[in-house]
Amino acid sequence: MVKVEFCTSCGVRLKETGFVRFPCPSCDTELGRCVSCRQQSNMYECKKCGFVGP
Amino acid sequence: MEESTDDIEQTTVEELEPAQAEVDEIETESAPESEHKENAIATSLIPIDEYLAAGVHIGTQQKTQDMLKFVYRVRTDGLYVLDIQSTDERIKKVAHFLSKYDPSRILVASARQYGQFPATKFSKSIGARSMVGRFIPGSLTNPSLEGFYEPDVVIVTDPSGDAQVIKEAVSNGVPVVALCDTNNMTSNVDLVIPSNNKGRKALSLVYWLLAREIATERTIPFNYELSDFEAGI
Repeated sequence: MVKVEFCTSCGVRLKETGFVRFPCPSCDTELGRCVSCRQQSNMYECKKCGFVGP
Repeated sequence: MEESTDDIEQTTVEELEPAQAEVDEIETESAPESEHKENAIATSLIPIDEYLAAGVHIGTQQKTQDMLKFVYRVRTDGLYVLDIQSTDERIKKVAHFLSKYDPSRILVASARQYGQFPATKFSKSIGARSMVGRFIPGSLTNPSLEGFYEPDVVIVTDPSGDAQVIKEAVSNGVPVVALCDTNNMTSNVDLVIPSNNKGRKALSLVYWLLAREIATERTIPFNYELSDFEAGI
């Protein structure tokens, strides 16, 4: 699986501690969330299947 | 001058009528709920009546902006009701998501009293690890602690009660799955299961369904009944 390098919500590079990578609950495509998007509970959307989280 | 005032009055009345109809529609309890139930029955994990009997849809009198998308309607007494269909869909998706992880690397946490028994049962049934009751700070971040453990994914029963677990999971870069009620903030939660996280029966049902679906995804036998997950009163 290709590791995502950018946040799925805001597009920032995932380098600071606190970011997360996990498979999409619908299609297993890898998603990434930066620490601030996690903290602010920003919406993310899988580009492949359209799953919207959190 | 008079004509223009009449026009304004007419438009105001015209605007108000559909708005009042909308309010009436929201306040009418039985009709939309039964329609909604019929649509959901076809694909749900268990009959919708069982969800309703366990009170999975019962929210609180407070709601947060984060959870607004999972709210189905507001009862006349001010209680926010969760959308059972979205709960059902999320349980399926979370089960699929968790089945991708090694069960021994899944951590289930519950500080809430009624969540402790089902969380322990859930962890036993899928082979995961549970931390119930008081969570010792540093359990996920301090290697010198006796109960130190580094999970790949964390499930929490209540984001506000299990705040320390979420904090440590965030600093470790671990995804967090949480059972969220209408009054919960979803900050630092990566996947929400909208459900009543205060009721004994509701928690048992959600954990039992999750365990059953994970077993189905992994094609392993699942020999537990719903009553096995229910905590004593």
